[in-house]
Amino acid sequence: MNADLVLFALAAGLAIAFALAMVVQKTPVRSVLSLVVTFFGIAVLSVMLAAPFIAAIIMIVYAGAILVLFLFVIMLLNLNEEAREKESRPVQRALGLVAALALGGLLLGITLRAGTPPVAGPAAGARIPSVDEIPVVGRLLFSDYLFAFEASAVLLLAAAVGALILSRRRME
Amino acid sequence: MSPLSGVAPMSVPPAAFLAAGTLLFVIGLVGALLKRNALSIFLSIELMMNAVNLLFLTYGRMRGDAASHVIVFFVIAIAAAEAAVGLAVFVALFRARQTIEVDRVNLLKW
Repeated sequence: MNADLVLFALAAGLAIAFALAMVVQKTPVRSVLSLVVTFFGIAVLSVMLAAPFIAAIIMIVYAGAILVLFLFVIMLLNLNEEAREKESRPVQRALGLVAALALGGLLLGITLRAGTPPVAGPAAGARIPSVDEIPVVGRLLFSDYLFAFEASAVLLLAAAVGALILSRRRME
Repeated sequence: MSPLSGVAPMSVPPAAFLAAGTLLFVIGLVGALLKRNALSIFLSIELMMNAVNLLFLTYGRMRGDAASHVIVFFVIAIAAAEAAVGLAVFVALFRARQTIEVDRVNLLKW
């Protein structure tokens, strides 16, 4: 009970602190590495929400594949310090910050005031994490969401081919 | 609706998860609006997607519905496709202009 609260505070605090570090960081490599820690925190929160399979996917696909891809591109383009010769467009930046904070405050207010629907009743033999998650998700994926599943396969193929064509050197 | 069975009651109030997810989304939003490096903007967008995933999982947990896990699965698959194409665009852009600062890519601006 209490240990859960402590774990939540640790994971959420870590995720939020490193997300802030990601935004403040000027060096892209450090931003990527901060985001890895944020994803660790989000994975812990996912486990607490009885979604260990999703937590594993976040670690494997996001932290393991997507962010490594980012690191490869940073290395390829040799981006270190973003050379900021002058603070370009201060007015737009201030307006952007105001707009983001206003929208953010609005979202936070709405989410918290929307009221929370009653939490689904606990089962008798309560256990964390849910051992049933993977069979349930797998069954849904291949029944109700079969079309979306197949479509995402085509989408991934198209994205792979598109990425190859886009990043190819012109051979004329 | 496929119920998630055998799940213990939540000992942390769901509103705390909602607040954390929304806060992460807002941080990503600030980053996406303020950063000038296309790669950093992209990173912020990835953070926003993960924040939304967290909200999906929270609501799914509150309703006891496993469909949220399927939605998150699709969001992650599409994020992977998006990252591949987006990073390829950055590589092509860097070849053409030697920069990926979005302020300097203004060919289509009046």
